[in-house]
Parts: sequence; structure tokens; C-alpha cells
Amino acid sequence: MAPRPCAVIGVGQTKYKRRRDDVTLDGLVREAALRALEDAGATFDDIDAIVIGKAPDALEGVMMPLLSLCDALGAIGKPIHRVHTAGSVGASTAISAVNLVESGMYDTVLTIAYEKQSEGNATWALSGGKSGGQGAGGTFAPWIRNYIARSQAPEHIGWMVAVKDRLNALKNPYAHLHLPDISVEKVRESPMLWDPLHFLESCPSSDGAAAVVLGNDDIAKKSGRPPAWVISHAKRTEFGQFPGRDTVRPQAGVECSEALYRKAGITNPREQIDCAELYVPFSWYEPMWLEGHLIAEEGEGWKMTDAGDTELGGSFPVNMSGGVLSSNPIGASGMIRCLEAANQVRGTAGEYQVPGAKISIGHAYGGAAQYYAMWMVSSELNPVF
Amino acid sequence: MVSVAEDVAIVAFEQTPSHAHFNDSEPAMIMPCVNSVIEQVGMDRHDIDFTIAGSCDYLSGMPFAFVMNIDAVGAWPPVYESHVEMDGAWALFEGFVRLQSGDIDTVLVSGSGKCSPGSYREGFSLQTDPYVHAPIGLDPRTQAGFQAQALIAAGKATERDFAEVVARSHANAKDNPYAQLSGDLSVDELLAEPYVQQPLRRLDCPPTSDGAAAMIIARADKARELCDNPVWIRAIDHRIDSHHPTLRDLTDSPSVRIAADRVGLHDGPVDIAELTVTYSPEEIILRDALGLNGETSVNPSGGPLTGSPFMAVGLTRVIELARAIRNGDGGRGVAHASSGPALQQNLLCVLEGDG
Amino acid sequence: MPQLHDVDYTLEYPYTRTTGPIIGPFLTGLRDGRILGQRCGDRVLCPPMEFDPDTFATLESDLVEVGPGGEVVNWTWVAEPSAKHPFDRPFGFAFIKLDGADTALVHAVDTGGDPEAMSTGMRVRAQFRDERHGSVADVYFVPEADAADQVIEPGEEPVTITEHLIGLRINEPLYPHRARFAQGLLDGKIIGQRSPVTGKVYVPGRGYDNMSRVLMSESDEVEVSDVGTVVAFTELNPVQYYGQTETEPYVRCSILFDGTDQPVIGIDIRDMTVDEMRVGMRMRCIWRDPEERSVEDIDNRYGNIPETVYARFEPTGEPDIPADELKEHSW
Repeated sequence: MAPRPCAVIGVGQTKYKRRRDDVTLDGLVREAALRALEDAGATFDDIDAIVIGKAPDALEGVMMPLLSLCDALGAIGKPIHRVHTAGSVGASTAISAVNLVESGMYDTVLTIAYEKQSEGNATWALSGGKSGGQGAGGTFAPWIRNYIARSQAPEHIGWMVAVKDRLNALKNPYAHLHLPDISVEKVRESPMLWDPLHFLESCPSSDGAAAVVLGNDDIAKKSGRPPAWVISHAKRTEFGQFPGRDTVRPQAGVECSEALYRKAGITNPREQIDCAELYVPFSWYEPMWLEGHLIAEEGEGWKMTDAGDTELGGSFPVNMSGGVLSSNPIGASGMIRCLEAANQVRGTAGEYQVPGAKISIGHAYGGAAQYYAMWMVSSELNPVF
Repeated sequence: MVSVAEDVAIVAFEQTPSHAHFNDSEPAMIMPCVNSVIEQVGMDRHDIDFTIAGSCDYLSGMPFAFVMNIDAVGAWPPVYESHVEMDGAWALFEGFVRLQSGDIDTVLVSGSGKCSPGSYREGFSLQTDPYVHAPIGLDPRTQAGFQAQALIAAGKATERDFAEVVARSHANAKDNPYAQLSGDLSVDELLAEPYVQQPLRRLDCPPTSDGAAAMIIARADKARELCDNPVWIRAIDHRIDSHHPTLRDLTDSPSVRIAADRVGLHDGPVDIAELTVTYSPEEIILRDALGLNGETSVNPSGGPLTGSPFMAVGLTRVIELARAIRNGDGGRGVAHASSGPALQQNLLCVLEGDG
Repeated sequence: MPQLHDVDYTLEYPYTRTTGPIIGPFLTGLRDGRILGQRCGDRVLCPPMEFDPDTFATLESDLVEVGPGGEVVNWTWVAEPSAKHPFDRPFGFAFIKLDGADTALVHAVDTGGDPEAMSTGMRVRAQFRDERHGSVADVYFVPEADAADQVIEPGEEPVTITEHLIGLRINEPLYPHRARFAQGLLDGKIIGQRSPVTGKVYVPGRGYDNMSRVLMSESDEVEVSDVGTVVAFTELNPVQYYGQTETEPYVRCSILFDGTDQPVIGIDIRDMTVDEMRVGMRMRCIWRDPEERSVEDIDNRYGNIPETVYARFEPTGEPDIPADELKEHSW
């Protein structure tokens, strides 16, 4: 059997904020889920299965939270399962939900990812609850320095990404950070957290949830709303540390994108993909992933950023929604990338719409840059390249 | 019944004994299981198409603990891999679903957990509602106590019935080399023990256990290529009930009834049932909700009352059933996994022999 | 096997929870000595919920006082309370249908330790604790006859956020290979494990070689040099969080010890600045005096060489190793 075609038929997001002080965990996930159902023209009754994802339970201090959120998600009497693949989890969760539809076993699936980071502390969790934690930036900064050394990229590239994503976020009402007076000078002058990463080159800590309703081809065709067909998805994992590991351009990331493009029939990603939502929690990961996911040749990714190609209006826009640099509810961040890629090909991205976008990718990575999850969406079920 | 496009079989399985304390890391516990299943089918690890594991960070005492577990399943060169924060039985669910797309052939599934370093009773109270239940430490044993009392109050069971479940489970475990507890217990002596959670006594509750389990599943053609005696997964489904115990009829399990219907449980004989009976009264509820009669052998392995490594225990039920079917103890049966307190979430998996 | 300390720590954090439009007023009520239920059609839900539990439709906040008396509809006796329970002596947990509510609340009943006092159908009444924080634990129940009249002074601001110190104690022996590694450090030796498959040496050993998926044991252990090469470093400006004791910037580096194939990560350097560090620099471990060494901080997680065994790492003065020779180890 071939996989059953699967499409995004509804999306929902919460407003992202440092602390969503107006809602419980129930309220947070329902806000996104009910918006996604409304967008799909569906209700909880239409949902055959639910897939939920988030980063470690210790971020909120609720163990296996699907058990306490199942009522809020209308899951009683239904299948609901929980994915956890570190920072990549939002995208992994969306892909697990696609698997349910592609299997032919479930027609309509609700998938949701969330994090209420203000309930706990991500650096505490990343440190295993012990003193002396270095945070994600402390882990990634040396690899970023290696990228800069290897590619000979000028130092302003990171600042440019930080500015571009925050300017994009001004067009996105859900974005956490709205910094209208952001500038390269402000980024450069902001405190150095982990050399070469300045404060304004790092992602915020957000509360928020994102939800997607997926349907098979029959459901999608019946839905009055434009579908985003999930034409390809891929996941790859490698160890975090081993002799010979390339931490700048991890092999799992390369192979993940190869698998993604092969399945879709993409032979020239730079030309055949219209725009991308890449998981960029620290500014330099934009050029690193352009290269690491084969959109640019090695050593050439920063030149795309430098030339303005990745700006909204450029030849290969990246993180039109403002990206992880503007909103980061960790467990949801990957699903937001997938959801925003779908928004582009559905033509529902509002002020940050890439005109005529037909093919887009959503991406997330996690752990020590060792977990990768990507999906490709299209306005057409069988696009021809 | 759920439509199933691709026939899928279990081609290899392995479990650790249920350890009171495994004095090494979780990856070190899983690795021999993984190596065993790979060896059983004679595959190169990197020819396995998809890998998925189930575990729980909180049980392991560290956020991101699951990341270390990939050391045991192998991730270099890179692998197509995922993880559920659930019992390995739900990893099996996702693996089975993934094979239905028909574009890949094999999945490596594992589940693992170490309960011994922490306090299961205190830790698992964090599974409950974070506003109204967790702050008073509502633990799974208390919820099992409510369930037991509800059964008694409804006239559906007596404390003697619970003791009989315990005695039979321990007796069955005498033949199970993986069991942690086993032996001949007298029901009267069990009833003479003090309560730990009235109306439950110590042996109505599970031991503290560490353990792991792994299996390889494959689509039909590949399954026949990989082994001579595949055990077929005819159907798998899981359902959940409310997290508010007071909104549930604790003497019944609607989620099990739905799942039983979805997997077509009674479309054929049910020779064996391997059930996640974490507390003895649960067996009475499960037998009733599954519609089992005297013809079904329930927990011939002894079940979780004789060894309960959370996060592996559900997948282990599937393995115990597959082993029994391979051994010719029955032709068709059901394995059950559970998550959450008082049988809140339930998974059923129907297996059939290659006859 | 060396006899060392057990691992014993509590993974603990003071979580906060925002309480939203329905749980917030419920918790405010408890702080103020009142129990509130949420209207849902003809019913009153206590504990309150934000949605109809049957249709999942969102409910507007509409709370009504219930109790303080109620009826036990199910119960179980806790003979051995846990540290997370509301009482440290035996007590009953019960489903309590409060007067005026249609659903039951799970809560604790204090009968003075007497299980015989518990029964289905018994009447109970709420008692409020002297110290109340806007938590479901602000209240407990007693048999109606034992209830005292209470005068509760309401608080001022509504409860919108609550704090929960959630801890999970982890307690187990050091794994054998961790104990041997720790004992080695006490003896001024760095013990690694050599893969029987590839010959690569890992420090500290994990008890297995993940690249070859093979378990390793004491017979695979080797003492390695305490001289090595810096392969990566970063300056940490400590982010403050619960349990963080670092306040000043310091250098953290990874060192590839001679004869090993994977660097030890997370070695902290206090007496050099980031400007003095170089990838490729040769460094030597200067051990503390034996009586000053401690490995108490070593646990079973994959970990580094703690500062409690070394005085400092000192540049050897040898020429740097060219960076491209270290490419394999850039962690």
C-alpha cells in the first residue's frame, strides 16, 4: 500500500508571551486546539486520534501530561499519545500525526505541542537540576565559532539574522518579541552571553501552544479551506558525542534533508523550495542550517544571508514568521515551524506571506544538534518540479 | 474494527529479568535486549528502517534522560528514530502504524525504566491534575485503593478475589525466569496480612522493578524472510478515560471496551491474555471489560504483580504473549498495556500464531 | 569494587502555576475559607473545570459556594503516608460530594489515625489550615462531629499564581564502573575504558561503547595520561536559576587526554581567562593533595572530572597541537 495522502486542514496558535498569566495548562492547550479546529471547520467530535508533544516534563513539573490534559483536548475514549524528542519534538510530533493519517487507520488527527516555560526554568532543566549549567548557548557557541572559522563568515552575519527575524515578527501578531526599533547596532551592543552570541542573537523563553488538524485526501477535499499537502517528511538521529562527529554540519541533519528531498522529488532545494521555516534559536544557525540541510553549498550559507536572500522578499525567505528567535515555547517551536510552512502554501500567512509560495519546509532540531525532524508541504498534492 | 492495510509480525523479542535493582545505567540495561533481537533476525543494525523507544525522564531522575538511551539502540551512522514518553507498548503502536504506510519494512521497538532509584509512589503522583490532585500527593496506590473499594462497594469483588489474583499470579510466575517474585501463597495467609492501602495489602501492589524490553516487527514479506515463526499483530488500539477519578465509574473500563471492539477481540478465540495488572483488583475489571471467560488463560507469565518495570512492562506483556504463542500455548491472544493511575489509559494488541 | 557513597539527590524546582479564570477563583476561595464549584448546565462541578466534561465545551467562569459539609462516596485508608501527602500520620483519602455539588472532590480525611472511623456515606466537613496559600492543600476534611467552627480572615488579592516545590529524590549506589572511575580520581588516576571492538578509549567510560553497542567491564579499563589537549572552550556567564551556585564568569573546556579518543567535557578552569585559552593548548592536571580530594559530587550521570579532585589545569608549555588534527574531537 502507498501512504494515504495527508494534508494540513486547520492550524491554531496561542499568543506567545514570556508568561501567559491568564491561563492554566488546560487553557493554554485548548486555546490552540480550538483555533485549529475552528480553522478546519471541525469539532472535537471529528477527531479520530490526538498526538501531543512537548520537551521534558520537568519544564513544568507535570509527569506524562497527556494523562492530565486528555479531558481538555476532548480525547476521552480516543487514542492519544505523546512524543518527546528534545527540541525537535514539535516537528516530530507533527510527523507522528502524519504517520497516523498516512497509515489509513485514522482519517482526521489533531496534533498539538506546547510549553509553558514560565512554570519552570529551561536552563535548570538543561542542567539536570544541578549547579554549573551552561545552557543551550554554552553548548552551541563553540560549534558556531567553528562554523565561523571554517566558513570565514564575517561577524555581522549573526547580527543580520537577529534583526531580520525580529522585523519579520512585527508582521506576526502571535510572535512573543515585537522589537520595532531592532537594529544591527542594538544587537552588537547587547550583552555577550556566549561568545560570539549576544543577548539579542538568542531566543526568548515563551509560553505557548500550537495545534494542527490533519486530514486524509477525502477529508481535505471536503474541507472548504485550502489544504497544505504534506508531501514528504523525514527524521534522523545521531549520538551527541563521538570521535569524528561533525558538530558544525551534523551528518544526521544532512541525511534528514536528503531523505526529505528524495521522497518529494526535489533535486535542487534552493530553486524548487519557495521558503523555509528553520529552527534557528541562535542567529548563526540560519547559515549553518542552509548549509547543513543542503540549501546552500558548504561555506556559502552566510552569503545568502548577507545578500538578503533570506529576507521576506528575498529569493529564499527563511523564518517569515519571526522564527524561534522571536517566539520559543520549546516543545511547540518545531510544530510552529511546520505550521508556518503550511500557512505559506495555504496562502494564509497574512502580512508575512511569500507571494505565490507553493513549496515550503518546516524544520526542527534538538538535543546536542542530534535530533532532526523536517516536513515539506505543498499547495498541490502532486507538485511537478 | 480498525482497518489494517499491511500485515505486520513480531519477528524477534527480548526482555531483561524484572530486577529489584539493576546496578548500572538504563542504556546498559537495554543494550543486551537490542543486540539480542538484532542477532535473532541476523540483520545489520543499519538495515532496520525505523527505531522507536518508550521511556520516562522523570522515572530516570533527569530531564532528557531518554537521550542517553539512544546509546543502547545505536545511532551512528544516523538512524530514522523517534521516542514516546510512554510505555514501550505505545512505541510499538507507533511502529505498527508506521509500517502501514507500506514504504518501510522493519521497526526496532524498545521500552525501559528503572523504578528503583526513585519513589514510584511519590513521583507518579505528578501524573495527576497539577492544580487539584498533585498538591495533595494523590498517588497511584491511593487511586488503586479507590478502585478496589469501588469494586467491593458495587458487589463486583471481594478482598478474597484480590488475594486469589495475587496467589495465582505468583504461582504462574514460578515458571517464568524473568519474574521478580513467585511462589506458592495461600489466600488465607494473604488475607491475614495488614493493609497498606485499605482495602489493598502489600502483595496486591506491584514490586519496585527495573527492566527493559525490545522487539523487531516487520511487514509480511520481510517477516517471512527474517524468521520461521512470526507472530502476527492482527490489530492494535488504545483509548483513554478521564483524569478525574471521580468522573469515572472505577468498577468498569470504557476505554478497554472501546479498544476491545476496535481490535476485534472476539472475532476469534482468546486463548491467552497478558494484562497489565499493576494492582490485583485491575484484573477483575479487565476480565469484565474484555469479556473474558474461563477459556482464556490470564497472565500465565505472572504479570506485573510479579515484576513491574514501568515503561517496559506493557511491551513485556506483548513479548510474554508472543512467546506463549510461539511455544504453542495458544493460537491467539491479547496483550494489554496501561498508563496512568487506576487503568486510566489502555492499549490492546491482538496477536496470532503463524498457523 | 571500591565502597563509595551512594548517589542521593533531589531533582527539585519551585514551579509556579498560573491559575486561569476558574481554578484561580477556586483557590482564592480556599484561601478565604470557602469551597467553590463551577456551574455547568444544571450541574455544579467541584473540583471546578474549565469545560464541560461531557461535551468539552468551554465554560464561562461561574462559581458558586458548595459545602463545607459533604458525604464520602468512596474512600481508601493510607496506612503509610508519603512525604507528599497532607498528613504525616495515617489518614483516609476520600471522594467527597460536597453539599450543593454534583461531582466529588478527592481529598484527605483526618480521623485521628483511626481507619474504623471511615465509611462510605459518612458525613465530613471542611477544615481550613491556619496557613493558607491558595492551594488545594489549604483545606482538609474531618468527620462532621469532629469539625470545629472556624473564623477565616479573607485575603486581599485574588490568587492568580501558585508556587509548588516539586522534588523527586533519587537514591542508588554508584554503578560499579562509576565507582571505579571515582576511586581512580581519589588515587590521582584517570581511568578510561577501551572498546574491545574498535580499541578507542573513552573517558570516563559509560560501561559500554555505543559506537559498537558492546558492554564494557573492568577488564576493558585503562589508566590514561593526565596530560591532554584543549579541544574546545567557552566562557560561562552563569545564568541564575534555582540551585545555581555559580555567580562569576569562568572558563569551561573540553580536554582530550593523551591516549584517548573522546575529550572529557565540562572541565572548569578558574585561574585563566578566556583570552588565555586556545584550542590545541597542552594542559596538565595538577591534582589536589590526596587528603583534600573528594568525589562526593560524582553521580551516575555521564559526567566529568570534578573540581574537588584537581587544584588546577596548568599549560605544559609544549607547542600547540594544530587545530585540524583535533577536528575529530571538537566537543
